[in-house]
Amino acid sequence: MVERALPVVQTAGLCKIFRDFWRRPRVEAVKDLNLEIHPGEVFGLLGPNGSGKTTTIKMLLGLLYPTSGRISLFGKAPTDVAVKARIGFLPEESYLYRFLVAHETLDYYGRLFRLPARIRRDRTERLLDMVGLRHEARRPIGEYSKGMARRIGLAQALINDPEFLILDEPTSGLDPIGARQIKDVICELGRKGKTILLSSHVLADVEDVCDRVTILYGGQQRAAGDISDLLCQRDVTQITTPPLSEETMGEVRALIRRLEQRDILSVSHPRVKLEDFFLRIVEEAQAANIRTSGVRKGGQMPEFLQKPTGTTTHDVVESLVEASSRKTQPLTPLEPASRRARYEPSREVLDELLGRKDTPTLREPPPMGDLEPGLSPSDVSRIKKTADASVIDDLLGGKDRSKKPEK
Amino acid sequence: MSRIWAVARQMIAEGIRMKIALVFLVLIGAVVLGLPLTVAGDSSLTGAVQSFMSYGLSATGFLLGLLTIFMSRSLSDELVHRQIFLVMTKPIPRWQYVVGKWLGITVLNAVFLSCAGLTIYGMVHYIKRTHPPIDDRYDEAELNNEVLVARHALPTKLPNFMQDAELEYDRNVEEGMYTDVPGFKPDAEKIRLAQKHESRWRVVGPRDRRIFEFENVLCDRAFKNTIQIRYKTEVSQYPPDEIFRALWRFGDPYKGTPVYDAPVRHVVGRFHTIRVPADAVAEDHTLLAHFYNQNPFQGERQFNNVMEFRASDGVEVLFIVGSFEGNLVRLLILMMCKLMFLAAVSVLMVTLFSFPVACLTAFTVYILAAVGSFLKDSLDFASNDYASMFSSVKEFLVQSIMHIYNLLQWIIPDFGRYDAVETFVNGRNVSLVWVLQATTEMVLVKSLIILGLAVLFFHRREVAEVSF
Repeated sequence: MVERALPVVQTAGLCKIFRDFWRRPRVEAVKDLNLEIHPGEVFGLLGPNGSGKTTTIKMLLGLLYPTSGRISLFGKAPTDVAVKARIGFLPEESYLYRFLVAHETLDYYGRLFRLPARIRRDRTERLLDMVGLRHEARRPIGEYSKGMARRIGLAQALINDPEFLILDEPTSGLDPIGARQIKDVICELGRKGKTILLSSHVLADVEDVCDRVTILYGGQQRAAGDISDLLCQRDVTQITTPPLSEETMGEVRALIRRLEQRDILSVSHPRVKLEDFFLRIVEEAQAANIRTSGVRKGGQMPEFLQKPTGTTTHDVVESLVEASSRKTQPLTPLEPASRRARYEPSREVLDELLGRKDTPTLREPPPMGDLEPGLSPSDVSRIKKTADASVIDDLLGGKDRSKKPEK
Repeated sequence: MSRIWAVARQMIAEGIRMKIALVFLVLIGAVVLGLPLTVAGDSSLTGAVQSFMSYGLSATGFLLGLLTIFMSRSLSDELVHRQIFLVMTKPIPRWQYVVGKWLGITVLNAVFLSCAGLTIYGMVHYIKRTHPPIDDRYDEAELNNEVLVARHALPTKLPNFMQDAELEYDRNVEEGMYTDVPGFKPDAEKIRLAQKHESRWRVVGPRDRRIFEFENVLCDRAFKNTIQIRYKTEVSQYPPDEIFRALWRFGDPYKGTPVYDAPVRHVVGRFHTIRVPADAVAEDHTLLAHFYNQNPFQGERQFNNVMEFRASDGVEVLFIVGSFEGNLVRLLILMMCKLMFLAAVSVLMVTLFSFPVACLTAFTVYILAAVGSFLKDSLDFASNDYASMFSSVKEFLVQSIMHIYNLLQWIIPDFGRYDAVETFVNGRNVSLVWVLQATTEMVLVKSLIILGLAVLFFHRREVAEVSF
């Protein structure tokens, strides 16, 4: 029997009431909140301003105490020091010491985790490299721009190689490069089995990276579930192909009308996302070695963050029970069902379109957890496009149209 | 410990880089280096050095006290600017954070106090070298023997005046002197008689003598060493030149010590010090000193002067027990104990209040500790004056303040009890026992209690809650 791993976060009936000087209730920020975040999950906490997201995060971190209800992190109280050793936190603003330089900042937080000096030095260098601030590491943080300070904030959140990462508005104040980098980092950490709680107003960011979300309003939970389930429009099918001629379009239209007795609702050329366009321009400038005093291109994710998060409480118990001589193998992190489902093409529709039950030539994209390290969401969408193109080839009788010049 | 030290290091970096500490360092430097230019004392070398040390050390103590209070701003700033969010989400227990802050202030104080101590030490030697001489040899010897040393002082052994008083009382009872005296209190009468005997003992009539005996003079009895007799006399009638003449005789021939005579011609009403070879002290560490009142002096105008050694000033024997440097270190430790207590108070206040309120409260505690004994004496004096106008209101106020002050004394030490600057400046030994008492009371007991309270309050505090 497979034992379900202990949730990383569990809240039950969580309430927070802020009181005034005379202890009279002033604001009920969080009401009866029940959350459960499982290991390896990228969880989104959404809601408008004042909906209780940050208050919830502060309670999870022990910065605020709940008025009523219960919180457990890794099965313990949030104020437990041992729990904090497993957490990384990026607050909504970079609350850093203005008088310390980046190096000293990371070293200070590393000391609080009791990391040995050698590891602190090594991780500091690698993280500064990752956030693209190695060349500015000797400047006081007070001189940094908001975005640069944000990057140091992210670096400090990762200094302890946390199992659970709490990111409050991680992309606020960042340029599109930084925002993309952070999203890439989140995706990659998610793939490595880290549990991530993300609170953001930028819904596109949440949509890009999260497996599950909870939407808060007025301190209460209004919706919750897998992001693919919540957002999927099951009454519409979308097929993306390379440019098609009028003749082909006519055939497709006729085919659909014949098989489904329906018309195509709209046909258009999709636009490139402004984010992708912007990033391409900046990459070209970087390739041309144009000088800048700001952030430079970030490096790879440090090795220490790349190893999968293995040992859960369950594993520790298992390993203790089993032969002590055997080396404990890190467990493969739980792959949320939503993440696997997200990138699977709609087989039923394709089968119907092809008029057969099996699709031998369909290249199924690998699940997110099996992707090569370094793949970003844009890479994933490229894989999706390749898969969809092969479907169209099949639809058109196996004709190879990829070599056809674009219009 | 590594986390506590991490917080302390961060605090020190903040103190230095935010320039709060540097401003105070410059101020201390300006005071210590500038004082020799402005303070001359009584124009003698000893006076110049004593004035410099007295002002320099007092100013250093005061400025570091203020620095200690201002440095606690660090914790307050972290709460206001929310850097504490990042710290408190790291695996550091809150008590370690509070202790780390206290340690940071303490280390900074220790470094600054050491710098100030070294500067003062250097400046003393600089003044010694450059001060314009009045009487080169005398000045320098006085400075070296009476200021730049650590001397232990012993008061003279007093006769048992109460025994004399009881004998006289018994005699008086036999003579029936107290019969029919309304409201007669035997104990009060005995005390009065004892005081009378002491007053008589303290005066030396014309051509009379008094023997002073000192016990436990634990000095090195070698001839080359000296001990010092320090005394001050008042006279019944001031001579025109304010000079009195006397003879001191040291040593006890019955115990085999040499006997030294020291005729003196000193100004009335001032302290004088006589240096005596240390072999005048007997093997059992006792010293016998005879004082002969030589007034009226032959060939001068006749003043039948009675000389008086007052109880408040009196006579004492001093002998060297340590070096100036060791004494300076012990003095700095005493000053450090006060700063450590003040640091604990400042940290406690910022865990409770916003910085302006915390600063004001900590400063009030500082003032209360510094002038505590003076305040208590003033209140005692005021409480004796209830018969005056508004007596009932005044009584109520004074009594209330005294009760509050007595309560506060449980936790606020009396800095006056551990003020060793005057002792040090007079070349007296700042004893190790004194240092241990100060460490125990101010650091090990009161600072720890206050830090415990700070931890308790900080533990209960929701660091992310907005408070004003």
